[in-house]
Amino acid sequence: MEFDVVVIGAGHAGVEAAWAAARLGCRVGLCTLSAETVALMPCNPAIGGTAKGHLVREIDALGGLMGRAIDATAIQFKLLNRSRGPAVWSPRAQADKRRYGAWVREALEAEPKITWILRRAGRILVEHGRVSGLGFEDGGAVSCAALVITTGTFLNGLVHVGDEQRPAGRANEPPTRELAESLRATGVEMGRLKTGTPPRLDRRTIDFSRFPQDPGDAAIVPFSFLSERIDRPQTPCHIVHTNERVRDLVRGNIGRSPLYNGQIQGIGPRYCPSLEDKVMRFPDRERHQIFLEPEGVDVNEIYVNGLSMSLPRDVQEDIVHALPGLEDAGFLRHAYAVEYDFVQPTELARSLEVKRLGGLFLAGQINGTSGYEEAAAQGIMAGINAARAVRSEAPIVLGRDQAYIGILVDDLVTRGCLEPYRMFTSRAEHRLLLRIDNADLRLTPIGRETGLVDDERWDVFEARRDRLERNRARASTVRVTIDGQQIGVGQALARPTVSLDAVRAGGFELEADDARAHIDEATFDAEFKYRGYLRQQATQLARVRAHEDRSIPGQFDYRGIPGLSREIVERLTKIRPSTIGQAARVPGVTPAAVAILAARVSRMRPGIRD
Amino acid sequence: MPFSTTDTIAAIATPSGRGGIGVVRLSGPDAARIAGALMGRADPLDPRRATFGHILEPLANERRYVDQVVATWFVAPHSFTGDDVVEISAHGSPVLLNRIVALACDAGARLAEPGEFTLRAYLNGRIDLIQAEAVADLVDAVTPLQARAAMDQLEGTLTGKIRAIDAALFDLIARLEASLDFPEEGFHFVTREEAAAELDRTRERVDALVREGRAGRVVREGRTVVITGRPNAGKSSLFNALVGSSRAIVTDVAGTTRDLLTEKVDIGGVPVTLVDTAGLRAARDAIEAEGVRRARDAREVAALVLVVVDGSQPVTEEDRALVAPGAVGHIVLRSKSDLPPAWHDAAGFDDAAAIDVSVHDGASIERLRAAMVAALTDRDEWRDPPAVSNQRHVGLLADAALAIGRAGQALAEGASEEVVLAELADARSALEEVTGRRAPDDLLRHIFSTFCIGK
Repeated sequence: MEFDVVVIGAGHAGVEAAWAAARLGCRVGLCTLSAETVALMPCNPAIGGTAKGHLVREIDALGGLMGRAIDATAIQFKLLNRSRGPAVWSPRAQADKRRYGAWVREALEAEPKITWILRRAGRILVEHGRVSGLGFEDGGAVSCAALVITTGTFLNGLVHVGDEQRPAGRANEPPTRELAESLRATGVEMGRLKTGTPPRLDRRTIDFSRFPQDPGDAAIVPFSFLSERIDRPQTPCHIVHTNERVRDLVRGNIGRSPLYNGQIQGIGPRYCPSLEDKVMRFPDRERHQIFLEPEGVDVNEIYVNGLSMSLPRDVQEDIVHALPGLEDAGFLRHAYAVEYDFVQPTELARSLEVKRLGGLFLAGQINGTSGYEEAAAQGIMAGINAARAVRSEAPIVLGRDQAYIGILVDDLVTRGCLEPYRMFTSRAEHRLLLRIDNADLRLTPIGRETGLVDDERWDVFEARRDRLERNRARASTVRVTIDGQQIGVGQALARPTVSLDAVRAGGFELEADDARAHIDEATFDAEFKYRGYLRQQATQLARVRAHEDRSIPGQFDYRGIPGLSREIVERLTKIRPSTIGQAARVPGVTPAAVAILAARVSRMRPGIRD
Repeated sequence: MPFSTTDTIAAIATPSGRGGIGVVRLSGPDAARIAGALMGRADPLDPRRATFGHILEPLANERRYVDQVVATWFVAPHSFTGDDVVEISAHGSPVLLNRIVALACDAGARLAEPGEFTLRAYLNGRIDLIQAEAVADLVDAVTPLQARAAMDQLEGTLTGKIRAIDAALFDLIARLEASLDFPEEGFHFVTREEAAAELDRTRERVDALVREGRAGRVVREGRTVVITGRPNAGKSSLFNALVGSSRAIVTDVAGTTRDLLTEKVDIGGVPVTLVDTAGLRAARDAIEAEGVRRARDAREVAALVLVVVDGSQPVTEEDRALVAPGAVGHIVLRSKSDLPPAWHDAAGFDDAAAIDVSVHDGASIERLRAAMVAALTDRDEWRDPPAVSNQRHVGLLADAALAIGRAGQALAEGASEEVVLAELADARSALEEVTGRRAPDDLLRHIFSTFCIGK
């Protein structure tokens, strides 16, 4: 069989990659072990959160799946940071895992350009130094011009529960070995990371009356720019706190934790500490917060968010039963840690294509990231760029000032990973610019030009943009009454304590689409609230862009440049930054080295005085 | 952020310390315009010709000269750097030269990094790298100012102080960032009140350093001892006697010393920077007025002040005013003790016994040295604080102070953390120019090592 693009893996990265490549007109083969595990959430039953919610909005604005999937199936919605400014509002939703996967699977099945390949991927086939196809573990092969690998934790996955170890990519699924070897044979630098997941308890054995409820928002703010008002009964989570008994159990059994007895070598995420880490590294902390989160409305699994660990089963049970209300809790699955191979993402160009093997793209956890949203963000970019590579078009690379997706990709390929990478809003230099409300303004035109944004989305977008422009125009002429004073709309909103509601009450009529009022309101409010800062950032950006826009030729020879130390030459040769701006972010590259490089690169351009 | 190679840079081009003539160099496309503006000229400078003129303070209703200068415009590419270059030759005082550089920066230039003129010469093909050894240091420095800090041997003094401020600010930034990225941890990383108080404290610490820097203090090791007194009280003679050479020009004309004069001397094993100042009086002209102002400023940062009072003249109110209550440690000297005394201890300096000195009496100078050693070593609070040494540091600190002030104001007005942080980003980047840029992950590392967060 012949494909333009083959995608290995149908997790959050794989489904976005397959969808994007197919929508761009490619014949796509989607290779996965089972159609039952499409868009599976093997860890927490939630999408979004700070910075991650931004990523989902951006994926949606480009024409991806994640935002619509979670809006259609979530059982609880929250807008985080609601008490703060619009730049740091972030949507998060509790997912119904089963329904989420089913929704994505249906969307892919409805896409005629996607062919399902339910087999175990084996070897990367190479011809003339480029990817030519994929061989399977049980024999046979398909040809393709581009291959996107999104195997998550499956490469040489090893699951730990206490001293039990078994090779597995996820709970009970066998790992991928031949593909790992094939990838290693290309010469890419690989490393080992670790992550973990907490126990799942049986809903029917928990006394929920003992815990305070954590409900969703009264007014739901959806993820997708296409979603209209969502009005759905929401399921609460519950909050539990660990106690001294838990602390003592962890301390008393720490020698049996593979994390602490040397059995696990991989590096885990700091922002998602295991219970062992919490207790051992912060011995003074008396209690830790835990959330009981349902994995769906019609399943019995309760995800114990905050209790990820790799202690033996009996200790896990003692720990859970030590908490009032969970004395009789039944385990549907024990917590486990998983170690897996990843490819050091400095092996990638900003298109997510492997630099040493044309046509090979990597996305998701295989690149050292953690999180469904980070995976999906890379998936959509890898899918777009694989399709463009097939057609010999230049890749789409988003800037750090354009999208969190741009920051994610730039950080990965420029700095590499020492631990699983998660997005935070503090990673954004231009945080006030990269908001959830304007993700469409930033990215939908790019998605349209790329071909991923269909007419329906484009119409919604154009109407929204027109409303914004009319609102801006009216704001410049109307005066409102605030505290008995007549002042301009912009002036009023620039005051931190004056809300949009107050400006409306003061006489300004904001034109908003009833179905998507939250977007019309947030953008308008943010533009005035942050006006001074946005202007300042625009000035800074103009300076930065001079560097960001200056490209360095792909085969540029750094050894030829006097003045650069050998160390700097080595780093630059390895990363091969595509612009002067990216070069400046390569660890160890000094400002003066960048100045020398910039002068050298501009001297190479024709028409510039030497 | 890499620095630009296409803007206009300025710096003192002659070696630090005091020489007869000092040169301020401007390099870049705006060099001629900026030089012309500093000299108050309507016409552009003539290319390749030495032009005589005055550097003026930019005052609306007053013409105040900074210095008489000669400026020469070397037109690109026939200049040292290959850019348009203007060299301004002025009198050699570091304070004057710093002022000219500061004015150039106000007019649109940027203070050059160490080695940056050479870097430009190299980039423009005027010299090869072997000639440009200075560039090598620059290339290896993670921030340009690290190279400068090394050159200035400031480690442990000034940068130490800035580093402490920077660390406190960084911790606050990390807490505010954590509030945004981890809103559901069930506890406060920092309350608004705590943040406001911390910003106030930090602002005060930065302001204090800026004030020291503005006082025109030059880089050096050891303690600063400032000689002060009314005109013609004999300050310069005393300066020369302590330095052991005729460093200062001594005349009978009151007001001869118009600028700060400094020299490193060893006083009984204590390294001391001795500063001679203009006589304090109502100045007769603008330059003297500036000298008097600097003399007052110098006293503010001194570890010890030698108050010279003419022993042959009656004590005046001006003399008494020199020993201000609450001022830094001081020793009153009754100068010209070889002449018939006009007053004794009872003349009003009741908090300190006056020491008789005469430059013609070696024993009296030795007594003075002993008194200085005792004063400098016995009293902890007389130790001078690390000083902000150069224009660039002062500028960066002033930027940081402004940004911290804006952040505090935003917080007070009820703005949310992301806005406060937008202001603090400027402060952080200014301070990190001095202390060294942090890696992007350092912030998260700090958060995770300080707080147990994440689920």
